[in-house]
Amino acid sequence: MKLRDTFKTAFRGVTVNINRSLLTMLGIIIGVGSVVLMSAVGASMQGVILGQISSLGAKSMVIFPGQQEGGPNAVSTGHDSLTFDDVDELKKLRTITKVAPIMFLGGNTSYGNEEGSPQVYGVTPEYFTNQNLDILEGRMIEKGDEDGARSVAVIAPDVVNKFFGSIQPIGKRLKIGDSHFTVVGITKPLGSQFFQNADNRIYVPLSVVRNATGQKFLNFVTMESAGSFPVAFEDVKSLLRTRHKIKNPEEDTEKDDFIVRSSEQASEILSAVSMGLTMFITTIAGISLVVGGIGIMNIMLVSVTERTREIGLRKAVGAKRRDILLQFLFESVLLTFIGGVIGLVLGVLFAFLASLLVHTILATYVFAVSIPAAVASLLMAAATGIIFGISPARRAAALSPMEALRYE
Amino acid sequence: MDTPLIDIRNLSKAYFNDGVATPVLFNMNLQIQKGEFVAIMGPSGSGKSTLMHILGFLDMQTEGDYFFQGKPTGNLGDDALARIRATRVSFVFQAFNLLPRTTVLQNVLLPLLYHPTIRVSEREQRALKAVDTVGLTPRKDFLTSQLSGGQKQRVAIARALVTEPEVIFADEPTGNLDSQSGVAVMQALQQLHTDGHTIILVTHERTTAEHAERIIHIKDGRIASDTRDFKRSLATHIDQLK
Repeated sequence: MKLRDTFKTAFRGVTVNINRSLLTMLGIIIGVGSVVLMSAVGASMQGVILGQISSLGAKSMVIFPGQQEGGPNAVSTGHDSLTFDDVDELKKLRTITKVAPIMFLGGNTSYGNEEGSPQVYGVTPEYFTNQNLDILEGRMIEKGDEDGARSVAVIAPDVVNKFFGSIQPIGKRLKIGDSHFTVVGITKPLGSQFFQNADNRIYVPLSVVRNATGQKFLNFVTMESAGSFPVAFEDVKSLLRTRHKIKNPEEDTEKDDFIVRSSEQASEILSAVSMGLTMFITTIAGISLVVGGIGIMNIMLVSVTERTREIGLRKAVGAKRRDILLQFLFESVLLTFIGGVIGLVLGVLFAFLASLLVHTILATYVFAVSIPAAVASLLMAAATGIIFGISPARRAAALSPMEALRYE
Repeated sequence: MDTPLIDIRNLSKAYFNDGVATPVLFNMNLQIQKGEFVAIMGPSGSGKSTLMHILGFLDMQTEGDYFFQGKPTGNLGDDALARIRATRVSFVFQAFNLLPRTTVLQNVLLPLLYHPTIRVSEREQRALKAVDTVGLTPRKDFLTSQLSGGQKQRVAIARALVTEPEVIFADEPTGNLDSQSGVAVMQALQQLHTDGHTIILVTHERTTAEHAERIIHIKDGRIASDTRDFKRSLATHIDQLK
């Protein structure tokens, strides 16, 4: 028998009782549908997360004082290990640029009767460039502000809304702690960075914070790598280890009194997380497809028994074992494949509906489908058909024609 | 004399169930020439159906030889037997064995799907011709469930014809039919015989057997009589009834 005829025969076998075929496929439909839906949600979430990172710029690096979590002295060491002298030396490195030291300024902020506690960053002009922070109105912190320790402030959109509402903020004086600052600029909205609201911030010159608090250490330092990340990383680490007199040839980050991070590193961590998520989904897919496959096997075994006489007849008119085997194998693969396609369509549809819903809450959540997951789940569905179809098909092929014809 | 179409020598058959042998046919010798219309008669349990299954390559003998068109068949494998069933022999069953939820024409087309040499382009034309031979052209697109018993059996005959086999086996073809439909089916088989087909009919009905030109009686797994003389056959038949 030609393969084309076998396939047609199998197709007729599946379509002749459409309700039963659909019920048989249900397990596969749900399995593939849920995998496609979950992976689509995962892809959309990844888009949201990557959006957070890319708002920082791909070359961005940051140094925090203190130790990597889990170190022997993680709690006891203070976060005072980064100094201005460190920054001066870092600026001399050729593999990094736009080095920007940051200090926090505590205390409540008020304007008129409005009071609140946005984050107040003491920054140098480099901070605005290495964070891709653009100005919406007015100007940013300039070199003159820093050098002259002028009491000026640049504010982010949420601060504008909270303290000024519809009033034009530029030129107004905000009170932060005990000092007054003149608003000179408004930044463009950033959204959230690493799930922190980056739009509830006030930027003032670093020198002002330094004078006001007398603090000798820095809260963190941002910069950009000038060339390749690994080299910049190594340079920063070895410089700081030398300056802080840390012997750490075996690269044990727990011994350092600083932590270096990059946006690339962050995206690596996130892709590791999403990899874990993928594995999780794949496991669920595997389980649901096995369950669906067992359903298919059940129905196929029933079908072989029900159609014993038909098999006998086919053999009596000349069907070979192979013809019968392939016919039933094709039938089960068709069931799982068609089930897979239906599941795929439903999964995409639900993912689309979900994205419409979530988009209203989380603006960066957009509809996305994981093509590899969709293709893989379809292939797995078809493979399920082969794996669970082989036993009923072999049983059908092995029937003796005479006994099959006699079957009541 | 020509080489017989069917030639069995010292053929025996036993079924084995849990190691216990139940003999069904004993030392049978039989020749059937091309173009004959033979009826195999016998009470139920006599072994007539088993003989037909062996002659039609649906089953294998346990001992003895079966020569088909002069060639031994004892050492043929599964695929070779399937090929013979596809090209040389065909069957009409008591229970029709038509595919459910399928049209007359599709049922008749079925054996052609498994035929190794008939081209795809020839299939439809051959099937239409076979349907026409049994007079069912007006109903070729009916589902088989819409047909009467006699019409169903005529579909089965068309299906048996369509590959133009050497021999058509009919196993109690009128067994499930009223007498009027039975006569129509037997007339169709007789027409095939007139057209030159070899027909081997298995039946326990005397009136059905009399459409044949040769009657073989089987009793307890042995040939009791083999004659073209219907009076002698009748004597054997009455003898068996006693």
